[in-house]
Amino acid sequence: MTQEKKPEKKPEKRRTATEAASRIGAMSKAMIASVLQAKEEGKPIAYTFICCCYDEIIRAMDIVPHWVENYAGICGAKRDAQRFLERAGAENFSRSLCTYALCGLGFDAWREELGEMPPNPPWGGQVRPNMMLGSGQILCDPRNKWYQAAQHYVPDVPVYEIGLPWPPYEYDYDYRQVQDYYVKYIVEQLRGLVEFLEKQTGRKMDWDRLSELVDLTDRTWNLIWETYELRRAVPSPMGTGDAMNTMVPIVFMMATQQAYDFFRELNDELRRKIANKEGEIPDEKYRLIWGGGLPSWFALTDFNYFNSKGAVFPVETTYRMVEAIYNFDIDLTKVTDPLEHIAWRWVKYWTYWYDKARKRPGSHPDVERLIQYIEDYKIDGIVMHEAFSCRTWHVGLIWQLNLLKKVYKNMPSLILESDIVDVSSYNEADTRARIDAFIDTLEAVKSKGR
Amino acid sequence: MKSQYFAGVDIGSTMTKVVIMNQAIVASVIGPTGPEHRKLANRVMEEALAKAKLSFDDITYVVATGYGRINVPFADKQITEISCHARGVSYLLPEARTVIDIGGQDSKAIKLSNGRAVDFVMNDKCAAGTGRFLEVTAEGLGVKLDDMGRLSLAAKNKVEIGSTCTVFAAQEVVAELSAGMPLPDIIAGLHEAIATRIYGMARRLKIEREVALTGGGAKNIGLVKALEVKLGYPVLVPPEPLLTGAIGAALLGKDIVKKAAESGISLPRSERRLREATLFG
Repeated sequence: MTQEKKPEKKPEKRRTATEAASRIGAMSKAMIASVLQAKEEGKPIAYTFICCCYDEIIRAMDIVPHWVENYAGICGAKRDAQRFLERAGAENFSRSLCTYALCGLGFDAWREELGEMPPNPPWGGQVRPNMMLGSGQILCDPRNKWYQAAQHYVPDVPVYEIGLPWPPYEYDYDYRQVQDYYVKYIVEQLRGLVEFLEKQTGRKMDWDRLSELVDLTDRTWNLIWETYELRRAVPSPMGTGDAMNTMVPIVFMMATQQAYDFFRELNDELRRKIANKEGEIPDEKYRLIWGGGLPSWFALTDFNYFNSKGAVFPVETTYRMVEAIYNFDIDLTKVTDPLEHIAWRWVKYWTYWYDKARKRPGSHPDVERLIQYIEDYKIDGIVMHEAFSCRTWHVGLIWQLNLLKKVYKNMPSLILESDIVDVSSYNEADTRARIDAFIDTLEAVKSKGR
Repeated sequence: MKSQYFAGVDIGSTMTKVVIMNQAIVASVIGPTGPEHRKLANRVMEEALAKAKLSFDDITYVVATGYGRINVPFADKQITEISCHARGVSYLLPEARTVIDIGGQDSKAIKLSNGRAVDFVMNDKCAAGTGRFLEVTAEGLGVKLDDMGRLSLAAKNKVEIGSTCTVFAAQEVVAELSAGMPLPDIIAGLHEAIATRIYGMARRLKIEREVALTGGGAKNIGLVKALEVKLGYPVLVPPEPLLTGAIGAALLGKDIVKKAAESGISLPRSERRLREATLFG
């Protein structure tokens, strides 16, 4: 059976620039192992999505998260997702749906049919959960349907879905006029989630512990922001390739001391590298921004290929899911109710670039963020990735690029086209030919300015 | 001083092109690439040398470009087709600011400044919008690919092709033919469909006049006219639109040699022996 085939070619490992990033593989593996262990010990396990505001809540209630998007990404990175995608296809899910969801659903369908893990599951597999905690936020519609579809295979596993909106951007309207309503709504959503979790686990929320974890998360956000800002240095000590590793503690380990400690160590390492003028590569010629799009997890070595051409990525928008709390326009330390605190942090994060956009007619918050990074990080060119199966994160990238080019008329850009998980969408030779041509344009523009 | 000759070898997905230049083009050859011919770029090179009455030792520098550029063992350097098209078009049509290249399996738009590519977009993921679209649909219509352009000029009411996928478009044209639609109207509809795709891609760049059209697609008068309608103005087409990449490659080789001589650098060169290009070696 084709579904039982193991990947034929072991993917080449991406070389990391930082020691911290090189440890992420082992950390991720340990994280998956800890979920398997928790399952054996009978602890409550929840399927979880990234960036859903509930990190502190589930940690405070000792619910073990299994991050389904992470697991699909691991399957993709190990080039072992195709058999799960095929399985989802056999279940009549369209191949043009989110391939994270397809991979996860294919795995669930197979596991439930067998009554055990599918053969040789990457890193031990995706366990059967006790509950599924969902939110599409307002940007990822597949996430609203994923767990509903998963219930075809685990009909006894309850789903709790929360809404996490934020005020939409309007150039002629100050979102602050409506922000209180949004915060109030989110608090109610989170309160409902706490009640659901209490009912499922038979435990009561420890509100003091929740407050401690909220504080830890604030401190971690500040530390991450300060650490990533170190990458402004020339030469830059760390690139987006490494950031695609260091996203793990940001989105899968938030509200843990482990995440904070990781960034403390990364911060120290980057400071050492900057003091020694040690860049990501010895001869940094072109500084690029990863300006949007999730990466192809099976092709992270492309970042090394960029490096081989003298190109580095000091900054990216993808997975930089934090801002410095002290830069927000409200003093969050005064918001002592933990749920309200989480809600304000959420609204302030998503509206952070609104004011800047309103000052530039025709602009947009996402574009302002790119402009700020281009200036701060001394960027020469922009790279985006259109993943065919992830429309919600990727629709609009070209539009953003067009707006950006009104500001930076001669900035070379490269659009890569592939997927997050589905390796059949990828052609290494074509991708690298595009990168070669992009490097030529960077050189042409740079030499014009010399 | 002995005259210097420079060769550009452009291995595209469909055609292999070789140009030999000194002050101007001395010889050029266009031959099919194909699965077997891919291994035999040297034969096209030999043919070009024979036409130019030169031996391989007479060639100062060889630059390979195109889809198969890494498979040319006798090349001194490989340069991307984006850079080579930019250089070639700037040489042939100095007024061009944008290049639209329609190849057999990809299409691209290149923004030019001072003879160099400063931005580009490319479609190598979908056959619609490339020469392959016309190849497949020509087969479905039972028409020679080379005749498509001429035939479309007789169109009275062009047929609207709804399918954006090459495979489905091929089915659609057969259905239109069965329904009795005139051949020229169907072909004109196909040209409009492909022009719409290419124009949509090229618009990602800010298209600036003058626009040069290159590649096999530029040899199709129907497609050229359809693109002109989309753009709203005439395009420039070089005398032999298949050769711009190879010309650019030869010129870039010349630039490299000149720059090295000015800097007193001795350039590494490959062995002057024609060997079979291989995919793996």
